[in-house]
Amino acid sequence: MAFALEFFLRRISQGVLIVLAVAFVIFTLLRIAPGDPIRIILGPMATPSAMEETAERLGLRDPIPMQFLRYLGDIAKGDFGNSFIRGKQGGTTGGSQDAAGSPPVERAPVIELIAKALPYTLLLAACGFLLACLVSIPLGIMAGVKNSGWPQKVALYLSSLLVSLPNVWVGIVLIYLLSARTGWLPAIGYQHIGYVIIPAIVVAVELAPVMIRSISVAVATNVQDPFYEIGQVRGLSARTMLFRHVLRNAAVPLLNSFGAQMIGMLLGGLFVVEYIFSFPGIGLLTINAVFQRDFPVIQTVAIFASTVLVFINIAVDFASTTIDRRLKF
Amino acid sequence: MAAELLLKVENLSISLGSGEAARTLISNVAFEVRPKSVLGIIGESGSGKTLLSRALVNWVRPPLRVTSGRVIYQGRDLLELPEADMARLRGREIAYIGANPTTALDPTMPVGHQIEEKLRTIEPDLPRREARQRVIDLLDAVRIPSARSRFDEYPFQFSGGMMQRAMIVDALISKPKLLVADNITQPLDVTVAAQILRLLRDLQRDFGTSIVFVSSSFGTIVEVADEVVVLDKGTIVEAQDTGSIQKNPVHPYTKELLAKVPRLWHDVGSVPETNAEPVVLSVRDVAKTYEVKDRASLFRKNRVQAVRGVSFDVRRGESLGLIGESGCGKSTLSRLLSSLESPDRGAIEVNGVDVATLRGDALLSMRRRFQLLLQDPYNSIPSHVSIGATIAEPLRIHRLATGQQLRERVCEVMREVGLPPDLYDALPVGLSAGQRQRVNIARAMVLEPSVLILDETLSALDQVEQAKLLDLFDSLQRKHGITYLYISHDLAMVRRACARIAVMYLGKIVEIGDNETIFDAPAHPYTRTLLSSVSTVEAKPFLPRDYLLEGEPPDPIHIPGGCSFRSRCPFVIDTCRTVEPTLSIKAGGTATACHLDVDRLPAPSILAKARIGAAPKRMDSL
Amino acid sequence: MAIASSTPQSSASPAPARGQSVNARILRLAWRSPEMKVASALFFALCLLTLLGPFIIDASATKISVADKFLPPVFMEGGRLPYFLGTDQLGRDLLLRSLVGLRNAFLIGVVSVVLMFVLGCAIGIFSGYRGGWTDVILMRITDVQMSIPVIILAITILGMSRPNPFTIVAVLVLSGWPIYARVARSVTLAERQKEYVRAARIIGASDLRIMVRHIAPSILPPIAFVAVLDVARMMIFEAIFGFIGIGIQPPTPTFGTIISGGTQYLLNAWWITIVPGCLLALSLGSLNLIGGVLEKSRNLVLQGAA
Repeated sequence: MAFALEFFLRRISQGVLIVLAVAFVIFTLLRIAPGDPIRIILGPMATPSAMEETAERLGLRDPIPMQFLRYLGDIAKGDFGNSFIRGKQGGTTGGSQDAAGSPPVERAPVIELIAKALPYTLLLAACGFLLACLVSIPLGIMAGVKNSGWPQKVALYLSSLLVSLPNVWVGIVLIYLLSARTGWLPAIGYQHIGYVIIPAIVVAVELAPVMIRSISVAVATNVQDPFYEIGQVRGLSARTMLFRHVLRNAAVPLLNSFGAQMIGMLLGGLFVVEYIFSFPGIGLLTINAVFQRDFPVIQTVAIFASTVLVFINIAVDFASTTIDRRLKF
Repeated sequence: MAAELLLKVENLSISLGSGEAARTLISNVAFEVRPKSVLGIIGESGSGKTLLSRALVNWVRPPLRVTSGRVIYQGRDLLELPEADMARLRGREIAYIGANPTTALDPTMPVGHQIEEKLRTIEPDLPRREARQRVIDLLDAVRIPSARSRFDEYPFQFSGGMMQRAMIVDALISKPKLLVADNITQPLDVTVAAQILRLLRDLQRDFGTSIVFVSSSFGTIVEVADEVVVLDKGTIVEAQDTGSIQKNPVHPYTKELLAKVPRLWHDVGSVPETNAEPVVLSVRDVAKTYEVKDRASLFRKNRVQAVRGVSFDVRRGESLGLIGESGCGKSTLSRLLSSLESPDRGAIEVNGVDVATLRGDALLSMRRRFQLLLQDPYNSIPSHVSIGATIAEPLRIHRLATGQQLRERVCEVMREVGLPPDLYDALPVGLSAGQRQRVNIARAMVLEPSVLILDETLSALDQVEQAKLLDLFDSLQRKHGITYLYISHDLAMVRRACARIAVMYLGKIVEIGDNETIFDAPAHPYTRTLLSSVSTVEAKPFLPRDYLLEGEPPDPIHIPGGCSFRSRCPFVIDTCRTVEPTLSIKAGGTATACHLDVDRLPAPSILAKARIGAAPKRMDSL
Repeated sequence: MAIASSTPQSSASPAPARGQSVNARILRLAWRSPEMKVASALFFALCLLTLLGPFIIDASATKISVADKFLPPVFMEGGRLPYFLGTDQLGRDLLLRSLVGLRNAFLIGVVSVVLMFVLGCAIGIFSGYRGGWTDVILMRITDVQMSIPVIILAITILGMSRPNPFTIVAVLVLSGWPIYARVARSVTLAERQKEYVRAARIIGASDLRIMVRHIAPSILPPIAFVAVLDVARMMIFEAIFGFIGIGIQPPTPTFGTIISGGTQYLLNAWWITIVPGCLLALSLGSLNLIGGVLEKSRNLVLQGAA
């Protein structure tokens, strides 16, 4: 199919360019931010000469574009660099305790840190998303089909309520109610699957209102389209029209808002939720990395996140054009 | 004999809303439909005919309410029928086709698949293969070319006419006893509409289906219906069989409707005449091609040849009409003429200056002399700006007036086009279509243009408003010596307003000549086909059976060699397949792009010659 | 359609409807719903409280007073006036702290939404109207911008530099403008095809004039109505930043720092985190309800249903 081939050729090449641009922006941002990474690696006790020597060895005194090109070269070889702080055995090593001791080579490779954290994040994301779907898909469809009645009211009030709850606060309240006070569920850290429940609820609370709203709007728009009523006059049942035709049409704007809005939201939500619950995923890794000025970790996570976003968007656009042949990309 | 009736409507009333605010839209309507007959319902827009036709399939939704009456189908009242029983009738015994075929199907699924889906809902036991074959056979029967591959194409790939054919297939696939056809030819081009009508008549005979044919055009109704019911503001004012209603209309409203049907040959009075003033607008061999993405191949683009070399001149104070059906290139030509786009080839000269070479101030001052009026009165003026400010904007842009002087100038123009000057500070919300179009006219006239292009300017208006604006254009032309170029698909309007007429087909002018020759003795078969397809209540000099073939214009991406009309021309000769004809002068002084001699075409039917020739200059009543 | 065509005729007669633009109709329709009235009243009351609170309540949002620490709200046993919502671990009045937080969050929200609206829509209209390469480049820039999740961008910038209201607003604007640019562009693309744009070009209007005088006034109000929802969203981000420690720095109280400060005392003094959150949720709720009703009325009016 020529169209699909051209679509992917064009979009993937564009996507690679976008990821490169994002990588460069983040890379530059981190290099011009205040705080000398050498001081972080070697700790406060390091001598100026040792610092200069390490900087030379790591290439931190070269112009930024050159550093960036070298970085890209390393990535091409599968090397995303090593953490400034974290040791291979896990745990933080940077700072004073082994000031002149371990050379950066013995610090943990970023890619390993990410590989270790990623499954937790995926688990949390999947649970949260599933939970949000469970509530919002039935409610959104019911609210969209009829322009009045209780599903519409419930959808409006519930989504207005949920969207008004800051996730940090919801997290604390749930910890207090479900864990600290009653002891029903575990909350902080991760030991077994039970630890994912409360964080997943918080993620779902953030996603659900957006999903309810977009589903009901998308369904309502298509129910108003003439083909829905005419289909019933043509002899098809309202059920068939809804499930075979309206939902199919509604999928296009939904996929769009999923790619443009919800994936970004989900990622952001995961970061915050992991931080609140000390959940050992990518988000916690990144936030700690920021406070510790662990640049290699930050830039790798940023590049990963934008790659995921870019490619999910390509997939979403392809799915949309397959459903609705009128669309062009 | 009630037993023989298929459908009987008794005392039907429908109103909008409830309680005190309720407005009755249909009141006490009653009529009968006999098996295997065609009942025509005629009414103007706003007469409630769409509502009535929907009530026949029990498709009345709040806030609309049936307040009284019965719709009895084979002894059962459809309005009282439980929803489940009604569902068993809909799409099976009773089918419905609406006015807008392009929005009737799910846009994301192939047309054929949706018809198959319906067929398999009605006959669940039918194997998929067989259902598919039946749909394809019927698509073939309504003369959809290459039905097998069309089966898998999407609604947006169908033209309006094709789509309406597909909807007819969808309605007839269940062999219904009753078909409600609501204004089905309204959005279609004249030749396509004529083809659809002919098709519907044939199918009605073959299938033995009864049809309730609803239309706003008297000319269309009398072509198909056995009996006609006249609907005025929700009530039936007259019911007669088709033959007698034309000859002896009884009710004054029916007479009025008949009188409003535009005439092309009888009682047209005298038509505008050509003049010998200098040429102000000269179009020389203009062509424009667009590129669109080709989905089926890698990195390839299709070239849509929208305009393929058009030339004509317009003289000062003259009106030229440019007519053609959708897709003939007239809207592209209009965009080129308004210099919003530039042609790939050729030149548009205003007073001898090529418009495409102008930039900056020169372009601005050319625009002042060369104005264009658009079709849509609702979208062409901004809704958030007061009427006065809208009309004043050109003066500000061209820095022609300021302050009090500007206001006076605007008020003067408003009076001239028939807008009360006290509307100056009002917003356009609530203006009628006609008034909005006057705002448009005022905005153009305030610049005192010498050439005015009217791009379907009057087609959104009703007959009465159209006639008033035509008179306005007439008086403006006499007063200011303006040159008009009418771009339109409306033959009757062009007949009344234009001294010379050019007929376009597939991006080219196929015939150009003075008004009388084009309408009475055209030499191009396409012009004759067009004239034969017009729905009117008068005798036509050219008959569809002589000129109207099946098929649609070729697609402008793959234009075949030779004459572009040859695929639809009944008189095609060998030369037509290979040699593309050029415009050459034929008998009667028209330029015609056709290889045929006029004598080879059938002679105009005798009735047309009875036209009253030397009538007064112009009928004042119009 | 019978019904549709009969309405313009009735309003063509000298009707009160004249002079009522689309925007006025949206606002009127929105105001008719009871939710709108309740939400507006609530929001107005909160504004009043925020403005007058510090003058009426005899307590301090920042002064530490160890004697009054861990006081519960007045409706609980042990609570006392003037500490309506109790005090925190340092004896500061929670209501006043919340009100200051609310004021700052609201200001940051409004300023950032206004800026991202102006920036995004300007770029979007320009991009959509111009088309061609301008459009491709601008839209790819929004792609890049949207490919960096807000939180990652925020923690990178704010975590690395010293956060203050200006940098916070800057981060929010930076992450928020692409969505406005996208929406404005897609509406402009549709709008550019409309006849009034062609009409304006025919009378000789320049591109700038068409964008500013014709397209902007007709597409911006509908987008602006929904921007109310974004004010609430930005306030949530401000709270999240405060919670992580990259928001406005102490001693200025923000919701984020109040909530995170109280987490250590959750079991004994739950109100420190939970009660200010309720106040925040209440104000966000009123804003969201206003935005939601406006959005719904806008859709109804634009679709011609009302």
